[in-house]
Amino acid sequence: MTSTNGAPVSPPEAVEFPPKEIKKECDEIVARYPTRMAACLPVLHVAQRHFGGWVSPEVEAGVAEYLGVSDSHIRGLLTFYAMYNDKPAGRHEVWVCRTLTCWLLGAEKLRETALAKSGCEKPGMTSPDGKFLVKNMECLGLCEAAPAVFVDGKPHVNVSNEQLEKLMDACE
Amino acid sequence: MAKKYPETKILSRNFGVENSWTLDVARERGAYKSLEKALEEMTPDQLIEEVKTSRVRGRGGAGFPTGVKWGFVPKENDKPKYLVLNADESEPGTFKDRYLMELDPHLVLEGCLLCAYACGLSTIYIYVRGEYPLSIERLEGAIEEARKAGFIGKKVLGKKGFDVECYVHPGAGAYICGEETGMLESLEGKRGHPRIKPPFPAVEGAFGCPTVINNVETLAHVPWIVEHGGQAFADQGIQPDPDNPKALGSSGTKLMGVSGPVKNPGVWEFEFGITVKELIYDYAGGPLDGREVKAVIPGGLSMPVLTADELDVKMGFDDLVKVGSGLGTGTAIVMDDSCDMVEACENIAHFFADESCGQCTPCREGCHWMEKIFARIKGGEGTPADLDLLERLFINIEGRTICALADAAVWPLRSIIRKFRHEFLAKMPGTDAADGEDPKAAEAETVGAK
Repeated sequence: MTSTNGAPVSPPEAVEFPPKEIKKECDEIVARYPTRMAACLPVLHVAQRHFGGWVSPEVEAGVAEYLGVSDSHIRGLLTFYAMYNDKPAGRHEVWVCRTLTCWLLGAEKLRETALAKSGCEKPGMTSPDGKFLVKNMECLGLCEAAPAVFVDGKPHVNVSNEQLEKLMDACE
Repeated sequence: MAKKYPETKILSRNFGVENSWTLDVARERGAYKSLEKALEEMTPDQLIEEVKTSRVRGRGGAGFPTGVKWGFVPKENDKPKYLVLNADESEPGTFKDRYLMELDPHLVLEGCLLCAYACGLSTIYIYVRGEYPLSIERLEGAIEEARKAGFIGKKVLGKKGFDVECYVHPGAGAYICGEETGMLESLEGKRGHPRIKPPFPAVEGAFGCPTVINNVETLAHVPWIVEHGGQAFADQGIQPDPDNPKALGSSGTKLMGVSGPVKNPGVWEFEFGITVKELIYDYAGGPLDGREVKAVIPGGLSMPVLTADELDVKMGFDDLVKVGSGLGTGTAIVMDDSCDMVEACENIAHFFADESCGQCTPCREGCHWMEKIFARIKGGEGTPADLDLLERLFINIEGRTICALADAAVWPLRSIIRKFRHEFLAKMPGTDAADGEDPKAAEAETVGAK
């Protein structure tokens, strides 16, 4: 295979999927649905958790093979759904809600704090030291306790700038 | 002081009870009694009739009569039939279903099982948004407990021919998956691109099979309806308007919430009839000290705003439509006088631009255009012609797409630029409003000129 400029391109080598640590979990998920494709979303959650917080082209190819869909189908899901990462994630993931209620109650300042504290250039990017991935998220459904953030999948509500700094300080 | 409109405790009766999400506590407090009653005393058709009698309307935003929806499922059909419970709750400002799933998952399951019995469904998928980890955990725990207790599985409670399985399906962060056919696509493992209807899901839904899709809160009402009868439910709330066949009334109770800069944001349950004003001032505590309410979106983000002068209206399906807005999800977002409406519009437009699935050009392109125009006005580079351009965009976006996301983007934005026009003009160099003249006069002038 070659790219448009003639340079050789090799397709990613699929990882063995699912690895034994998550095989039972993945097989159980597949058994819930009448088609294998339907297991894509929950299996990608498991895969992302297992492989360091992101789905690499190699993992993508492995999942595609396992579920009998094309690599590009999996890529389409990774780029459509906000919770998946198709680039290396930081060791810690910070989500800042940016939708109306949180915005009314100070989400912009929280985002600035998260970016400054992590060293991330802008939302959606990983910090140069690889420690943090800061993401802008649309409504997280915690509006009665806005503003809300998630740190490593765990919700925090009524968050002040100081509290967010402390939460990020606590990340190793 | 005027007497507060009273709270009710039907859906919310177990909120605040210790370990309310466990089977033992839930059963002590009556969980699954309605399922037992229905399986013993009612045929599936009788159950559907009871739900029709209750006149319960969908609590997810559209307000479609639930019993009618159930009646659409074809009886003579060999295909498996599904229930997809819409627990995506991605509408901004909405958090009521989260309370039900976290605090009373067995009530949610009982509602699902009653629906499955009524419509002859064999598998229940609960589509929960991925951002609700605790809801997912509590529902999965409840399903496990219910399976062990014989409420889920082969021959539920010994009833021959009633086999039902139940799974949680986690979403992965996409507003559009709250749209019922986008949700079906997502359940099937695809991008959440809404489908053209017909065929409607009741005939051809998940995996090409008949499918019922209901909101969490809607189905949570069903156990009470079975216990007390549909008429008792219909007797509560706001009655239909005999002179208007479209006004189907707002029967029963509703979880209503308030978020934004108020003293006591939260969620409460009321028999329909409370006004927006009572909800915001008596329960949510009103605006923060020294502030005034400027605008309210009564139900989620996708409805037209009400100004502070328009809040004496009941939180009901037909009542809010009558004043040009809508009940939506029944959870209000309050904006106070510190809120810059131009910036709010930019924020809202960004949400819809970000969450547009990209299938239909008017939405995919239009939402970004709207966001750019609001950003331009915010930056002081807008002109009054931009407001006319927005009006033309609204016409070319609303109703011209597969699903209602584009309409949902237009409604709040159009209402804001019409009701707060002076704030937009004030940011436009050379207009009277920007020159510091009386904003109301400037507004009257521009409205008159249209």
